[in-house]
Amino acid sequence: MFFEHDPQDVTRILFQNFPTWMAVRFYLIGAAACVVFAYGVWTNIRKYRRGVRSGAWSPFWPRVWQMVATVLTHRTIKRRAEAAGRSHSWIFYGFAALFVGTSIITLEHDILEPLTGLTFWYGWFYLAFSAVLDLAGVALIAGLIYMMYRRKLLALPRLDYTRPDRSPGDPDYDRSGYRREDWAFLWTLIAIAFTGFLLEASRLVWLQGDAVVWDYRWFSPVGTTTAYLMKALGLGPDGAAQLRLGLWWFHGMLALLFIALVPYTKVKHIFTAMGSLMARDTEAKRRMPTANVDGERIGYSVLTDFTDKYLLNLDACTKCGRCHEACPANASGYPLSPRDLVLSLRELANDTLSHAAMPKGPITVSGDGVNMIRSETLWSCRTCAACVEICPVGIEHLPMIVQMRRALIEDGDFDPMLQLTLKSLQKSGNALGESKRKRPRWTKNLDFEIKDARTQPVDVLWYVGDYASFDPRSQKVTIAFAKILHAAGIDFGILYEDEQTAGNDVRRVGEEGLFQALAAANIELLNSCEFSSMVTTDPHTYNTIRNEYPEFGGNYLIEHASAMLERLIREGRIPTPVNLNYRVTYHDPCHLGRINDGAEPPRQVLRRLGVDLVELRRIRENSFCCGAGGGRIWLADPPAMKKPAELRAAEAAEIAGLDVLVVNCPKCLNMMEDGVKGSGNEGKFRVMELIELVQEAMGLIGDTTSDDGDNVLREAGAPA
Amino acid sequence: MKIMVAVKQVAFLDDEFEIRDDGRDVGEDFFEKDLNEFDHFSVEQAMLIKEAAGGDAEVVIVIVGDEDADDALRTALAKGADRGIRVWDDALAEADGIAVAKVLAKLVEREKPDMVFTGAQSADFGSAVTGMALAGFLGWPHAAVVSNLDYASGARTATLRRELEGGLEEIMTIRCPAVLSIQLGINQPRYASLRGIKQAKQKPVDELSLDDLGLSAAEVAPASRVRRMYAPERGKAELITGSAAEQAARLAEIIKELRGM
Ligand SMILES: Cc1cc2nc3c(=O)[nH]c(=O)nc-3n(C[C@H](O)[C@H](O)[C@H](O)COP(=O)(O)OP(=O)(O)OC[C@H]3O[C@@H](n4cnc5c(N)ncnc54)[C@H](O)[C@@H]3O)c2cc1C
Ligand code: SF4
Ligand code: SF4
Repeated sequence: MFFEHDPQDVTRILFQNFPTWMAVRFYLIGAAACVVFAYGVWTNIRKYRRGVRSGAWSPFWPRVWQMVATVLTHRTIKRRAEAAGRSHSWIFYGFAALFVGTSIITLEHDILEPLTGLTFWYGWFYLAFSAVLDLAGVALIAGLIYMMYRRKLLALPRLDYTRPDRSPGDPDYDRSGYRREDWAFLWTLIAIAFTGFLLEASRLVWLQGDAVVWDYRWFSPVGTTTAYLMKALGLGPDGAAQLRLGLWWFHGMLALLFIALVPYTKVKHIFTAMGSLMARDTEAKRRMPTANVDGERIGYSVLTDFTDKYLLNLDACTKCGRCHEACPANASGYPLSPRDLVLSLRELANDTLSHAAMPKGPITVSGDGVNMIRSETLWSCRTCAACVEICPVGIEHLPMIVQMRRALIEDGDFDPMLQLTLKSLQKSGNALGESKRKRPRWTKNLDFEIKDARTQPVDVLWYVGDYASFDPRSQKVTIAFAKILHAAGIDFGILYEDEQTAGNDVRRVGEEGLFQALAAANIELLNSCEFSSMVTTDPHTYNTIRNEYPEFGGNYLIEHASAMLERLIREGRIPTPVNLNYRVTYHDPCHLGRINDGAEPPRQVLRRLGVDLVELRRIRENSFCCGAGGGRIWLADPPAMKKPAELRAAEAAEIAGLDVLVVNCPKCLNMMEDGVKGSGNEGKFRVMELIELVQEAMGLIGDTTSDDGDNVLREAGAPA
Repeated sequence: MKIMVAVKQVAFLDDEFEIRDDGRDVGEDFFEKDLNEFDHFSVEQAMLIKEAAGGDAEVVIVIVGDEDADDALRTALAKGADRGIRVWDDALAEADGIAVAKVLAKLVEREKPDMVFTGAQSADFGSAVTGMALAGFLGWPHAAVVSNLDYASGARTATLRRELEGGLEEIMTIRCPAVLSIQLGINQPRYASLRGIKQAKQKPVDELSLDDLGLSAAEVAPASRVRRMYAPERGKAELITGSAAEQAARLAEIIKELRGM
């Protein structure tokens, strides 16, 4: 045995040399801190429970395990912020080890020993424990120092709390309180860690004559080094005893204060983030919450319409600003930041739901009042889901925005332009104000007949979509896709006049009643047709049919055109004899790359075409929205504002020698062509659909395609 | 206090269409039906008056039309009107504005509203007679193409502005009850969500026949009859440029040419 002493003696005597009254006082204060903590936890839980029950935490255990895995790996915190994630893990593991260590002592000293006489905190276990906790303290301090450096010296834009949705002078503009809280949090934790080491050192100096302490000092390397430093500065055992008592109280009080304040400060994110991660809905970015359209009200107009999960979400936000930075609306100067939306609602909830009594009247959420969400904020959203995708604590901003929009739609609080679109959708099932009869008119441009899937069985049912059917520029792509399918010998058909918009944007704009009516009509029609799979060139249509129709009884196998092309090329069913000599870049549509994991097939296709693909800065799930989503394509962007598509075009223009910006969505095509013009890059490179490149590589080009889309419409425009 | 608003279900023509075999109308496949654009504004005006009165006013929507017209009626109800009345009889199939106005006059006698709104005109036939013919049958004060209205629920008079030919406007004060035909742009109509339209099914709608109103088929015989509908032949156009004298000379030349002189 290594020990010269009885291992039982190799431990730390708790409250050594404390008069009884002092220990009693400590326990009383400790108990008070626990009561304050418990009260705070309870008021928070009461606040969340004032929302609508969601049942989002069941099934409980699988959700616990996936949350624990997320927290332990720091997967979500490390994403696109490696350094911050690493330092956070130091703080997390350091803090967790110190917390568990302290709990072990309490377990032995205050529970097991008094009850059973059992002890274990001595000998080897004690020494290992000391060493681990010393290391934990170092990790904690190192992590905290990096965070201080990050806040103070890196001055990252994402950590700037300036709000885009308020102006200076507004009562809820000032967020300096948050900044003070951040710093108080960092300083308190670092003070607790430092005083812990000083306390350890002063105990060693004080007990340097006690071999059972001093001989094992190097198991506390940091404490011991500090102790030597203290000795060198002339500290003797008596002085150290006094210093130790003072530090003991200071460290203990600070730690208890910290614990007591957890539920009242940003420290609560320790718990709220875990609760939020547990409740996370992996489908949140794909599928908007279904609402009962026959109910008395719809959407979220008052705070108590929010579910308990969303109210918890609000408290989980750590103000990391990742959503703020990723949001295309915020980046182009619109009055929306998903972070500030969450924080406003948090403040509103704290003001109204955390008292014993509920306020008398309804707690309106949208409006111009303090901490309310302005309607122009809600209408700025492109429903690109960049916020949901990046939030490290699993906050689901997008469904909340859509829910609030539903209430605005019901109240008529929206741009009059949108009303025309919605009326057109009600009347004729498309957003472009066109008649139903005009929908299949583009097919007149083909020298073959497309099968009518309403009357004949087909292998592949092609859901064309609004823009692809009516927009003159997109029609060229639609015609190209038809030719490719025809050349590949695919047995395909379309729904002609009876196709209506699938409803992705209708749902995201908040017109749930209309969405459900469209979905029901489309599903009824689809169910009456005979086909084995579906395809569409429009990622919005793809998303809704794939992820939202099953809830309404529409279960179909659907592919995006790019995935189908990739497959057909791979299987050799479409030859691409011409190698395209272009330098291209590829813009991921949100609804394909980020929302439906469809980033790879289009790149595979590009590789097969022999082009030189240079990637943009923000790609795949981190793609930057063209600005069309969530119904924004139906609304004009104010001329004074920058458009997300212009920012994106400027990003593409950074690529030297770029020939083609490749898009993969009819709406992206529309937005990016404008974006290229608006950003002054016209003539520098072209915007083309992936389908058009494939068509070119197949050698299908050169006949009727170039301007016919336009001609069809113009001829049709004249009265018969 | 009660406001009655007459609304019409109109046809929106596709820009490619065919005339029906009998040559008297467009084939049914070539239009979609919807609430008359003007009537969105008159319903909104009634709702604004109701809301300004703290809800203390009843808005009754009336429509002459078959079951199909229920959609338009419900759209109007979804905007917040209290109840609806639909009048139909096969004898009304070819009703023109005058015939419809006769039916509406009976409804006014029955409902005794304090104010009646119609749209300035219908988006399909555009004859702008219904509202004014109604006022004529009732012998009520009236104003057509009202573009601004100052009227409080239950007031004895209303002050309004209306559009005249040539960009002129007239400001007048009118005794109530009155019949006003409402012009586009008088307000910003609210949106009726599809959910609202569905829920408006629960609002009370009286379905009445001509009998119920004490009218005979002969009384609602249309004053006009469509004999033939056709797309006019395309003409020629020529832009005449040059000095006034040159233009006059060219014009004279064309006239001579056309008259074969
Ligand atoms: C200032 C002014 C400018 C004009 N400018 C032009 C011009 O530029 N070009 C031109 O061609 N003409 C012009 N006109 C003429 C005008 O357009 C015609 O007189 C007019 O088109 C006719 O409208 P209407 O009869 O369709 O309306 P109606 O169809 O008689 O009336 C429509 C309204 O009557 C009610 N109604 C109708 N049918 C029903 C039903 N079945 N059930 C219940 N309610 C019903 C509804 O309230 C509806 O809104 C102008 C007139 C004015 C006064
Ligand atoms: S969905 Fe996109 S536009 Fe909307 S708040 Fe999130 S990041 Fe911003
Ligand atoms: S909502 Fe999420 S991503 Fe946005 S600031 Fe808060 S924690 Fe960060």
